[in-house]
Amino acid sequence: MHKKTARQIIFYLALLALWQALIISKLWPGYIFPAPLKVAAAVIEGFRNQTFLIGIMVSFKRLLIGYGISIVFGGTLGMLLVKFKTLEQTLGNLILGLQTLPSICWFPLALIWFGLSEWAIIFVVIAGSLFSITMSTHSAFKNIPPIYIQVGKNMGARGIGLLWRVFIPAAIPSLLIGLRQSWSFAWRSLMAGELLFNCLGLGYLLSMGRELNDMSQVLAVMFLIMLISIFIDRLIFGKAESRIRLRYGL
Amino acid sequence: MSLLKINIESKSYGGLNVIDKLNLEIEKGEFVCVTGPSGCGKTTLLNIIAGLDLYYSGEVLYKNEPLAGCASNRLLIFQELGLFPWLTVQENIEFGLKFKAIAKAERVKIAAEYLDMVNLAKFKDSCIHELSGGMKQRVALARALVMDPEILLMDEPFSSLDAQTRDMLHGELQRIWKITKKTIIFVTHNVREAVCLGDRVLVLSMIPAHLKAGFFINLPRPRQIESDGVIDNVKLVMAELTSEIKKLYEREFNA
Repeated sequence: MHKKTARQIIFYLALLALWQALIISKLWPGYIFPAPLKVAAAVIEGFRNQTFLIGIMVSFKRLLIGYGISIVFGGTLGMLLVKFKTLEQTLGNLILGLQTLPSICWFPLALIWFGLSEWAIIFVVIAGSLFSITMSTHSAFKNIPPIYIQVGKNMGARGIGLLWRVFIPAAIPSLLIGLRQSWSFAWRSLMAGELLFNCLGLGYLLSMGRELNDMSQVLAVMFLIMLISIFIDRLIFGKAESRIRLRYGL
Repeated sequence: MSLLKINIESKSYGGLNVIDKLNLEIEKGEFVCVTGPSGCGKTTLLNIIAGLDLYYSGEVLYKNEPLAGCASNRLLIFQELGLFPWLTVQENIEFGLKFKAIAKAERVKIAAEYLDMVNLAKFKDSCIHELSGGMKQRVALARALVMDPEILLMDEPFSSLDAQTRDMLHGELQRIWKITKKTIIFVTHNVREAVCLGDRVLVLSMIPAHLKAGFFINLPRPRQIESDGVIDNVKLVMAELTSEIKKLYEREFNA
């Protein structure tokens, strides 16, 4: 573990040194390829004048609304597909198709339906994640070992009790994997939507950097977006997953 | 009056006749072991008694009433156990009580009583995957016993355990049976186990299953699997079972 951390530190330091060396060699002008210190200064400035904080808050509000709606409706739909065979064969098939559509393809439709509004972006986030949640919920429930359901019934669990005390806990490890994946779909859809829509949010900061020809800001915002992705994926989902796996003895 | 009267005319799975004219009666408090050649429908019989399988012709009477689905007076301990990994040992044992609308305090009290009975009080907060095979068996037993079933159905529960753990559990099960006075129907491939545990050992024929022979085992308890009495009775049961197994092989080879 110690060795691994040391190697990683050396790798990133080397990368920074290489970057700085390229700057010193003056291969490209500064507005195309800014120095590491300039990017660092842009990060600090972004946090100091609060544009980053506002961007994060606006983006997260959209994300949480969109992703939340996807979880509620996508999850319910996924369970309905398990319950009703006909629905699975018809609507399930359509959803499988819709899921393959890149979410940003919904953007023109969203603009016509909702105009240039918050809801247009939230709609794209929903379109990007809802079907994925539906399909992963569906397969999580389908793959529950039948023994748990038999035991539950034998012990007197019926209906809601069976769903709440057996089906859902039995499906949790797979549900969590599905949630993690749909989160990343929602996040990507949001960034794409914000780049096109240009109204606050992290994507907007990125596109503003381009309009001002401020490469330091572009790189600073990209760095920020990457940090957020890593934080959510590794620290929140990753931790939850390893805790669940430990509990379930997987 | 018998507790359970089984008169199954026939039972088939997609054209394959599994049970044909199986008639037997089981008395209250009896420990009945059922053995037979593999694939002879022993598990099917348990599923029918448990009320998990309702599609057969004939009738099964429990206290002179026909069965209608699952009920907590007849509980099945599955071969794979199916303990819930998301619950602790104690929560697993309390599981069924929740559906009987028993209050939390009462549930804890009942669970504690059975945790003591199966000697797992120290492990009540453990996760399932932290337990040994024998402990898991005892959790499954306690989880069924808290429901206070009249009949306990056990489907080859000890088949995947090592010999020492199995011997220990044979002792435990006899002790618990004596305390709780349950009626137990215990399916096993292991004739020695059947003789060691049962008041009566039933031998089923190869499929379609009917009752081939029944033996009353009049040995004092607790019994040891290696005692002379057990070994003498095993010979008698084996004679019946072997002839069925021979028939099964002949049929398979000639098919």
